[in-house]
Amino acid sequence: MNARTDGTTDKRKALLLVGSPRGKSSASQSIGSTLFRKLEAGGMEIEEMTVSAALQSTENQHRMHKAVDAADLVVVAFPLYVDQLPAPLIQTLELIAERRQGTLVASPSAGPLVQKLAAIVQCGFPETHQNQTAVDIMRRFAKEAGFAWAGALAMGMGGALGGRPLEKAGGMVRNVVKALDMAAASLAVGGDIPEEASRLMARPLMPRWLYFLAANWGFRREIKKHGARKRVYDRRQGADSRERPAEARRSDS
Amino acid sequence: MNILILNGAPLNGRGAAGRKIAEAVANESRVKGWNVTAYELDGMAIKPCRGCFACWLKHPGTCAIKDDEEPLLRSIVASDIEVWVSPVTFGGYSPALKKALDRSIPNILPFFTKRHGEVHHPHRYDKRRSFLAFGTLPSPDPEAERIFHTLVRRNAINLDSIRTDSHVFYDGAGEAGVAGRVRELLEAAGEAR
Repeated sequence: MNARTDGTTDKRKALLLVGSPRGKSSASQSIGSTLFRKLEAGGMEIEEMTVSAALQSTENQHRMHKAVDAADLVVVAFPLYVDQLPAPLIQTLELIAERRQGTLVASPSAGPLVQKLAAIVQCGFPETHQNQTAVDIMRRFAKEAGFAWAGALAMGMGGALGGRPLEKAGGMVRNVVKALDMAAASLAVGGDIPEEASRLMARPLMPRWLYFLAANWGFRREIKKHGARKRVYDRRQGADSRERPAEARRSDS
Repeated sequence: MNILILNGAPLNGRGAAGRKIAEAVANESRVKGWNVTAYELDGMAIKPCRGCFACWLKHPGTCAIKDDEEPLLRSIVASDIEVWVSPVTFGGYSPALKKALDRSIPNILPFFTKRHGEVHHPHRYDKRRSFLAFGTLPSPDPEAERIFHTLVRRNAINLDSIRTDSHVFYDGAGEAGVAGRVRELLEAAGEAR
């Protein structure tokens, strides 16, 4: 590492963008941060931000764009929402792509020569393959925004993590930790996520039948805790579907 | 027959193609004597989902956020054919459409069930519907279109739809062409009911 006269260093930089609406208490943050601690140990300079914070103000958006410009590696970590990315993350990626398409045309040397983008996706369903469309969307974003695609780590059964730090999730995440180790070792030196890391990450955390039972039991326990047991199957919201709302942008005929 | 149109086209010039499609869906539906409910989502007061799951665990079926999504959720329940319109955005949907979809989880139950060999959530309401998705692109783009059609098929499994079709229109598509394709897919969706 060499210090420059402007106080910056020539360490390679990595930016983590957390796309979960639950922000810092999310499973996405937990997995992303674990990877980033490994990247830091591997000699990278790291920065983390949440999409919800980035969208809060123009100033924060400006900070995000500056961080993206400076990064050699951007990692986007998010949960699967309705088969793809959560809405605020799509909005953020649109902002980044629009700005970069303009910047790259006007000033091709605005950032590091090759900027890489990787994704971490997790869903609450047990099947990892349910994340595939979200991974395809991220790869497509990388292409449209001028990043080199560095691959993805996708996993199912994200609900089992419960937003806990990975080190507190016990033995069930051993393959996740191994996958993050392998990915960090490669990404830190400018490589891509190895296929073996993606395979390890995709492995189930527990038998499918056990996750299925535990999830349904967990939902019932939470519902009971909130005193909502009698309303679990409530249909009041839809029962008055003939009501006519008065908002301006709806049209009926 | 109740037709629900969720138009996720942006209100700026980029949304012109989407508005043309939404209009064609509404016109063709009215010709058939169907009831049309249409939402122009961009600019509506719909906040993003917080991921709090209160609509499953604390007050089931009702979102914690009170805004323009509430009537939209009721319209979904009442609809026989649901039509989504969106610019193809990295192969997926626009933020405006996606925000409305993310907030639709009060209409499903938290529990797991198996559908098409995969785990999904059961629906809170019994009624099943047909589902059409229309994307817009400036010009042909096989990769983005493949992702879009795959996404619609994934959504169809989650929605447990009776019949699903998707189509991508390119900028400059003539009105007659748009109306013709829309009519064809609406008829198929209506017959499947």
